[in-house]
Amino acid sequence: MAPLLQMTGITKRFPGVVACRDVSFAVEAGEIHGLLGENGAGKSTLVKILYGLVDPDEGRIEIDGREVRIRSPRHALALGVGMVHQHFMLVPTMTVAENVALGLRSDRPPLSRLRRVAAKVAELSQRYGFHIDPDQQVGELSVGLQQRVEILKLLCRGAELLVLDEPTAVLTPQEWQQLRGTMRSLADAGKAIVFISHKLDEQLSISDRCTVLRDGSVMGTVATAETDKASLARMMVGRDVVLRTERPPRAPGRPVLEVHGLHLNAAEDRCLLADISFTIAQGEIVGIAGVDGNGQRELVEVLMGIRTATTGTIRHEGETVTRLTPRRYNRIGAVIPEDRHRMAIALGLSVRENLVLKDFCRQPFSHRGITRPRVFRDFCASLLQEFDIRTPSLDVAMRQLSGGNQQKVVLAREMHRDPGLLIAAQPTRGLDVGAIEFVYRRLLEHRERGGATLLVSTELDEILSLADRIAVLVSGRFVALLENRDIDIQELGLLMGGASEMVAS
Amino acid sequence: MRRDQVTAALSPVLVNLGALLLTVAISMGVIAVSGNDPVAAMRALWDGAFGGRTQIAGTLSKMIPLMLVALGWIVAYRARRVSIGFEGQILAGGILATWVGLSFSSLPMVIHLPLAVLAGVVGGALWAGIAAVLWARRSVNEIISTLLLNLIAIQIVNWLVRGPFQESTGTFPRSGPIAPSARWPELIEHTPLSWDFPLALATVFGIWFVLKRTTFGFRLQFTGANEEAARYGGIDTRSVTVIALVVSGALAGLAGSSLLLGGESRSMSDNFSANYGFEGIVVALLARNHPIACIPAALLFALLRQGGGLMEARVGVPSSVVMITQGLVILLVAGSGFLLDQRGRVRVDAEESTPHPPTEARRATVEVG
Ligand SMILES: Nc1ncnc2c1ncn2[C@@H]1O[C@H](COP(=O)(O)OP(=O)(O)OP(=O)(O)O)[C@@H](O)[C@H]1O
Ligand SMILES: [Mg+2]
Repeated sequence: MAPLLQMTGITKRFPGVVACRDVSFAVEAGEIHGLLGENGAGKSTLVKILYGLVDPDEGRIEIDGREVRIRSPRHALALGVGMVHQHFMLVPTMTVAENVALGLRSDRPPLSRLRRVAAKVAELSQRYGFHIDPDQQVGELSVGLQQRVEILKLLCRGAELLVLDEPTAVLTPQEWQQLRGTMRSLADAGKAIVFISHKLDEQLSISDRCTVLRDGSVMGTVATAETDKASLARMMVGRDVVLRTERPPRAPGRPVLEVHGLHLNAAEDRCLLADISFTIAQGEIVGIAGVDGNGQRELVEVLMGIRTATTGTIRHEGETVTRLTPRRYNRIGAVIPEDRHRMAIALGLSVRENLVLKDFCRQPFSHRGITRPRVFRDFCASLLQEFDIRTPSLDVAMRQLSGGNQQKVVLAREMHRDPGLLIAAQPTRGLDVGAIEFVYRRLLEHRERGGATLLVSTELDEILSLADRIAVLVSGRFVALLENRDIDIQELGLLMGGASEMVAS
Repeated sequence: MRRDQVTAALSPVLVNLGALLLTVAISMGVIAVSGNDPVAAMRALWDGAFGGRTQIAGTLSKMIPLMLVALGWIVAYRARRVSIGFEGQILAGGILATWVGLSFSSLPMVIHLPLAVLAGVVGGALWAGIAAVLWARRSVNEIISTLLLNLIAIQIVNWLVRGPFQESTGTFPRSGPIAPSARWPELIEHTPLSWDFPLALATVFGIWFVLKRTTFGFRLQFTGANEEAARYGGIDTRSVTVIALVVSGALAGLAGSSLLLGGESRSMSDNFSANYGFEGIVVALLARNHPIACIPAALLFALLRQGGGLMEARVGVPSSVVMITQGLVILLVAGSGFLLDQRGRVRVDAEESTPHPPTEARRATVEVG
């Protein structure tokens, strides 16, 4: 029997790069097929071709043995191919059923259609164990549940093949476990799933087979049962990857950032941050662990002057900072924001312009208010090399870079000149293992040179392998602040869930 | 790659020329349908705009306010602010310029003229400044505030030319003559073209330089491209935007001063802005918001303004046909821009079309890669 999906000899060229080079791969019904590869290897391009968002230059696509040309996402859906975008396409003020019904074509009158959709949603949710109430408002759902609504939307449109492009980057470990269950039950029901993730553990635990891409070419397809992390990483990057980090002990120096009694109240007296106190010394990495949405973003915004704390003091190098503004913060430190598309880069501007955001008004990049493009160019070219940013040129728009390479642009911009204080929120989101290894090394070098780092991360592994001290943030409060050696991943997970209250060190 | 670049540079020029030719062809068709001789009409249009020294001078002098207003739009739009208050800012600038021009007539020209021009710039800047401050302090939408400020400025001018500024004979609703010492000297003798034309051209290049090569231009560009990222990056986006709006008003104010101190005008009448404040926006759209491209775009609209009259007088083509032509230019030339943008580009990913994620999804990074 022909596989559900067969892509053969797919080639896609963009000006200056070949995103996919003679790619062939097949997905069987009931299979979870992982796609792996370095940043810029061509994974997203490949699935966009499958979803009708990108036209391939060459190659053929067969679904159920019949050759098709996929012209648009609507057409893809009609052929049974659905894709969940990482940025959800949901209307937060509408209910689950209404969201699912949006854009569904039907010849019935709208209201009776809605009732039918609600029934369908309830039935599907029952069948696959989604635990979703069709009448609930989408804005009230957690990210993990919203993702399921997206999957439901596709199922209601009759998708047989689901494409998930980095769905786990925004999930908590618990949400990932649930998504895993969902994916399994879908596969057991005969649906096929294409699953993109950089996290090898995830690939190994859920995928039946993995196809590894490098530089647009297929390096091979392996059955995950017969492989392991190291060999997958080697296939991807072409060398061995060391993810275990050495964190030589060092005596912390003078305090760089001292935060005392920070409170932040929202308009209706809702408390966003309460009684936050901590110190980061020279050569120290303080990790903030916690489930996303527990005040991490607010904390970062207060520390860099985007929001003003209701009460509390912030001292930098011993001096109290009053009237902190992002502009002043950027003079004393650097920041890697958590949501790169919103807070870090301008997709419509060139790579060059995004790279110089923090430097353009310094000598020698500008002189008396006049910029010097030639200095920009040399500087940016050296950053591309140093941070291994894959881009056809400095002048292409940021949106043409792959997700991981966009992140590398932000890292390069913020880390190249060794800021005394670095706030890094989710610095490795969307990066491949090789790039993560590189970032870890840079962060530790920064520490070695006496820099202070605040590392905000939802990845426990990341926190545990980098941080000297760990604070656990739950609902805007520190439920713990402890030395890294005193804790393991289980305890940390429990604390993040708000299990117990304990304060140490 | 090289080949690509050459075609990339040439294709906008070719597409624009094609659109222009198509406009001419369709306009001639419309003229023929309206029962006139299209060839004679086109000749009349040409003669009216370029037929002699006076006509050429008239066309060029009409470019001045068009270019300046277009620049004003471009500067504000760089910060993604949509100002439609150029009419009001022209009027506000004109009022102050006229006031200086009517008073202080004992001053020598080297002082009086610059003073009057400056007054115009300040007037436009102040009028736009109101909208800018309302936006910055109270988040008042600038489209609405600038539109309403237009109406206020119109009424103030109506009152001035029938009240404090009215000429001493009191017959017409217009001001007394502006002192010669506050008027731009002629660039070509006995024509409406005066020395403010080179000033306007210099302003075009000046703004182009500011946007392209200065740190302010960079801040402005980043603010417009992604306000939140600019703020995280340490740019004071609010003041950058306020400055952009004020500068945009200053440019319109300069246009207003030119309308009164240059060309053939001798005094302020109640409709001296003559819709330049809106036509200038169209010029900017036609120029795809590129400062330098405003020069040819303004020339095209000045030509229609200047030559349209003769087309009506000589061939009897109704002036509405001229307006149809203007509309066609916008539709075809601006519309062909979309064609250019679309080609060679992957369809915009669905993810990118929502600039802000829904409430809860702020936890979700957008992934296009
Ligand atoms: N619209 C586009 N225009 C030009 N080049 C593009 C475009 N989209 C992708 N590319 C290029 O194609 C290559 C593959 O990109 P793609 O987004 O498929 O990578 P990816 O494997 O998804 O990487 P990541 O893991 O970083 O998300 C990259 O070099 C990228 O710069
Ligand atoms: Mg990708």
